[in-house]
Amino acid sequence: MRLSRRHLLLSGAGLASLASGLPLPAALAQEPRRGGVLTVHLGSEQRILNPALRASTGVYVITSKIIEPLVDLGAGGKIVPVLATAWEAAPDGKTVTFRLREGVQWHDGKPFTSADVQYSAMEQWKKHLNYGTTLQLYLDAVETPDAHTAVFRYSRPMPLDLLLRALCDLGYVVPRHVFEGTNVLENPANTAPIGTGPFKFVEYQRGQYVIAERNPNYWRQGFPYLDRVVWRFITDRSAATAALETGAVQLSAYNGLPLADLDRLRKDDRFEVSTRGVEGNVFNNTLEFNTRRKELSDKRVRQAIAHAIDVDFFLENFLYGLGKRATGPIPSLSPEFFPNNPVPYPYDKARAEKMLDEAGYRRGAGGVRFSLRIVPIMNGEDVPLLATFIQQSLQQVGIRVEIVQLDIAGALSAVYRDWNFDLATGWHQYRGDPAVSTTVWYRSGSPKGSPWTNQFGWQSDKVDQLIDQAATELDSAKRRALYAEFVRQVNDELPVWMMTERPFYAATSKRVQNHHNVPRWDSGDWHDTWLLPS
Amino acid sequence: MLGFLRRYMRNPAAVIGLLLVLAVIGMAVSAPFVFPRDPLSLAGRPLQWPMDNPRFWLGTDNTGRDIAAQIFHGARVSLLIGLVATVIAIVIGIVIGAVSGFYGGWVDDVLMRVTEAFQTLPNFILLLVLVAVFGSDITFVTIAIGIVSWPPSARLTRAEFLSLRNREFVQACRVLGMRDAQIIFREILPNALPPVIVYASVIMAVAILLESALAFLNLSDPNVPSWGNLIGAGRGVLRVQWYVSAIPGVVILLTVLGVSLVGQGLNDALNPRLRGR
Repeated sequence: MRLSRRHLLLSGAGLASLASGLPLPAALAQEPRRGGVLTVHLGSEQRILNPALRASTGVYVITSKIIEPLVDLGAGGKIVPVLATAWEAAPDGKTVTFRLREGVQWHDGKPFTSADVQYSAMEQWKKHLNYGTTLQLYLDAVETPDAHTAVFRYSRPMPLDLLLRALCDLGYVVPRHVFEGTNVLENPANTAPIGTGPFKFVEYQRGQYVIAERNPNYWRQGFPYLDRVVWRFITDRSAATAALETGAVQLSAYNGLPLADLDRLRKDDRFEVSTRGVEGNVFNNTLEFNTRRKELSDKRVRQAIAHAIDVDFFLENFLYGLGKRATGPIPSLSPEFFPNNPVPYPYDKARAEKMLDEAGYRRGAGGVRFSLRIVPIMNGEDVPLLATFIQQSLQQVGIRVEIVQLDIAGALSAVYRDWNFDLATGWHQYRGDPAVSTTVWYRSGSPKGSPWTNQFGWQSDKVDQLIDQAATELDSAKRRALYAEFVRQVNDELPVWMMTERPFYAATSKRVQNHHNVPRWDSGDWHDTWLLPS
Repeated sequence: MLGFLRRYMRNPAAVIGLLLVLAVIGMAVSAPFVFPRDPLSLAGRPLQWPMDNPRFWLGTDNTGRDIAAQIFHGARVSLLIGLVATVIAIVIGIVIGAVSGFYGGWVDDVLMRVTEAFQTLPNFILLLVLVAVFGSDITFVTIAIGIVSWPPSARLTRAEFLSLRNREFVQACRVLGMRDAQIIFREILPNALPPVIVYASVIMAVAILLESALAFLNLSDPNVPSWGNLIGAGRGVLRVQWYVSAIPGVVILLTVLGVSLVGQGLNDALNPRLRGR
């Protein structure tokens, strides 16, 4: 069947209404069925299964069924208790007390206590976890007055809303008795996790699959419904679509399938393709500038490059219209913090040329001003497409761009460890609050080698100060104002340009029930998920 | 020479092969005139079907590049990779095979063990390793393909040398006091060359395929318009816009077929035993 682009765009509107969460009436009427194996497609493999050491969607998709956080996002974006049952902040914001759930057991039979929370926070979140090290920078101690109370003491005020939202991603609790006294980074439990979750880890075959089975002693009585969850690594995305269509897998989350296939599966009533249940994550296509490079150290050149790229054309023609232009690092899908600013740097080729001329880079031999190397960080199939589009667009204004092809690990070290790039393009993920995983892209002082942090050779005292202030401001209106000013500053300075704002799409077989019913369902625990017979 | 040409032309498969190869050469030569624009530049809306838009009679790929332009310019890249890699492979192969076959003894043992070491590794795996270590610049990709393709030509040359080195004309050269290098390259090599030349066509066909396979895995140089890159780009849209991968796939098939048929034709034409056929 041949489809015109316009047709595809129109069907996007239909998708939005589907995404509003109309349940299947037939399924609602049914009693949940026990048993069954849910098989999930994963497009890449991080080789670590410890979410207290690596904050990444690719890790959560697997481990969130095995290891649980203190709190999670419930329906409507509300914070709901998981391992913590209640919480309270002191008026000065420097003390946050968590009541912990009683009667919870680790998969190896040991009881879960406040000592585990203390250990996870002080030894893993604060010392090793990406984003966690920044979030918990001012965490001085975690006190454990009794086995089911953990008191977090901060030397600077910690906004409770920020902490709770962040802990959904950065608050996974690991067992102290397994890790203590060992080399944390090389502990075997990092690839054979032990948690408190509804599923117990069974087996991990590199490059093949991860298997987890039902935890009969789970603290939610009678849950989970599924017998097993199997994650299969299928790196060829087209093959993954075929697996979904034949029924070999039932779910592919976080844009795991080719955009063209997602677009096709939308019209197939055996599947649901939607952004429902992924609202907790938004991502941007980024363009990082290495400001150590002479030409790029000039703000005007960075701005000219932004003016030279027609992002709307890219979205409409390359991404099937699945997304829109970003206005800065805080997406419009985050109403608490979105500063409501207009889109900066509209496409204007003539202006770009003029700015480059003014910066002193006139067209030389062959119409070329200068050459740059771009490193695509292959988070998704759109990344090489965008790298190509940037190459094509900048060629128009006299900047020659060479694409440097590396695998994701190689690209991450080239950009964030070796600083061996001029331009880079990948994804930035926004997780509900700018302080979770966004401001580290701009704050100076991240250790060399931490991925997705400011390794661009750019530093601004003003921005550093705004970030620090906002992270410890307890008044939410003031925090919002500080972030609005932050967006204004970084949009002007542009050390990294957030080009698009895009939701994630998941493709789910309609056999799966109770799916995508919370905002970060794919990274949730799936305790109430069940399967219709095939 | 004329007899050779006549024998070649009598073979219809060989003639078809020759026509195919000439067509590819024609595309490579005419590319800058037929498609003067940079084939990697954005030509129009992505994923237009062939013939949908008269400007793009083979359509556009998923990055809005003109497929026809990439096919024509890609012919230059593929031919260049094929030729250069083949020359590298043949030169290495001939030197090692000749020395090994001529001297025999421990020299032969050492060189053949090295050759076997290369042969036991699947050449594509070795190529992946080389590209992963040294990067995917097109120059290096070409050299790497040459490096992984030499062992068969070394064995072939060695076999020829083994059968030739004790012939009377070689012994005569020895008696005349000619130096080894002279004997190897001036006397024996010309007699050993025909099967190696025929085999070169196989290497060339494989070299083109190897580059395409690398590009299919997104490991070749993305800054040149190669056919393999186009197939790799089309992988994501295979189920709907299959033509993005299919068009360069067919072109690669025809080119490799052409080169192989020419090789076969040369073999038949050069083989004295088949003359009467």
